[in-house]
Amino acid sequence: MQIAPIRDATARALPAQPRARGTGRVRAGLRGKLTVLRDLEQSGSTKLLFPRSHEGMTAVILNSAGGVTGGDRFDISAQVDTGATLRLTTQAAERAYRAQPGEVGRVQTRLDIGAGARLFWLPQETILFDGSALSRRLSVTMAPDAEALIVEPLVLGRAAMGEDLAQLSFVERIDIHRDGALLYADRTRLSADLVRADHSATLAGHRAAATVILASPRADAMLPILRARLPAAGPARGGASLIRPDLISCRILARSGYELRKLLIPLLETLTETDLPRPWML
Amino acid sequence: MTQTTDLLTLAQWMSPSFPVGAFSYSHGLETVVTNGTVQDADDLLNWLTGVLRHGGGWSDAVLLVAAYQADDPAEIDALTRALAPSAERLLETELQGAAFSGTVSQVSEATLPDLSYPVAVGAAARAAGLPATQSVAIYLHGFAANLVSAAIRLVPLGQTEGQQVLSRLAPLCAELAEAAVESRLEDLGTCSWAADIASMTHETQTVRLFRS
Repeated sequence: MQIAPIRDATARALPAQPRARGTGRVRAGLRGKLTVLRDLEQSGSTKLLFPRSHEGMTAVILNSAGGVTGGDRFDISAQVDTGATLRLTTQAAERAYRAQPGEVGRVQTRLDIGAGARLFWLPQETILFDGSALSRRLSVTMAPDAEALIVEPLVLGRAAMGEDLAQLSFVERIDIHRDGALLYADRTRLSADLVRADHSATLAGHRAAATVILASPRADAMLPILRARLPAAGPARGGASLIRPDLISCRILARSGYELRKLLIPLLETLTETDLPRPWML
Repeated sequence: MTQTTDLLTLAQWMSPSFPVGAFSYSHGLETVVTNGTVQDADDLLNWLTGVLRHGGGWSDAVLLVAAYQADDPAEIDALTRALAPSAERLLETELQGAAFSGTVSQVSEATLPDLSYPVAVGAAARAAGLPATQSVAIYLHGFAANLVSAAIRLVPLGQTEGQQVLSRLAPLCAELAEAAVESRLEDLGTCSWAADIASMTHETQTVRLFRS
């Protein structure tokens, strides 16, 4: 019997990284015709900024840890009361850094949208670095006549550095409940094997992607407008479908993060009927 | 031990003659034949491998197993419908599921409500006491066989070429079935974004033979 050489794995491992924790909680409501802040809590590495906006309220989420790595944990929750409008975005692209083996970064977001209220969830892209391990969960509950616009842009690896993804774990779970019933669910699972195999039915050679969901009484009317902004071929392409009444789902694939933003910015401006928050500038 | 009659029941359910109308759904394949992505047998094998391993195939396998294990499949059925990425994919799972449930209820002692397709098959296999792994494997194989047959008409491909592709997909169906019986709903997860886009754009395609 051959005895394996004794090697203490922990001796080789890097010193344990500090684990980032961040919590942000915001509640917006209507005072007269204006959306105002009703509640705000922020702790750890999560900060919220409130730039002036023309319509409704805009909240910008800032991650002072500069990214997410294994073992980090972020919790964001937003509530929009009757009739109010809240736009949420991030200060910068979120970077998922290399994680220690077995460690997973977790990001949980809860959005609650009241009667006649609108919530736009417009984070900038998440960039998955080689070796990253990220698990994300987005849960939305909304009143029957509320509006939710959800976008989740994703970039695989640092294209500018020609980064090869040798190892990768990305899991995402999205659930939208409208009037107490499950309306839409999405489960994404990405691995380095999948990126390497690159089937025509999966990434088809693209390195950036986005899912856009519009759950709204105006979804039916927005379908042709949205479709007109989604080319069937080219550096960024996509499709949209009215899955059921008042629910549009849209998928986009792009060659790079830049091509993705170039397509997404006008598309999101059309959907929100306003300029995007400043951090979204190309 | 799997009984021979169990295998015959599964073969019957997943055969093209079982009236679920499978022949009218292409799961987005019609779009990618039209736009030139799938032009030959190799392209078809690549497309179907992605759809099975990272798309509707794996999803349905996990959902079928969850329904097989559930006393009440209602919640899994709601999840299956919510997971449909497009209107036509929702139609595909709802109409085939309803037809399957209706036919099984008429030809066996089981009574099945209207369920989405993988959930209906899982619930029916449970009621009939059929083995889980074989139920998933034959379901996935039936799904692949239906799309191969669609490709034979659309590309077009020769019958033999089509069967060569299907033969090469059989080990994948078996591998996914074995993984699925050990899975939980947390193991759901796909990345068949190009297939999702194909099914979305199929809705606006002017000339169509298929309903999805």
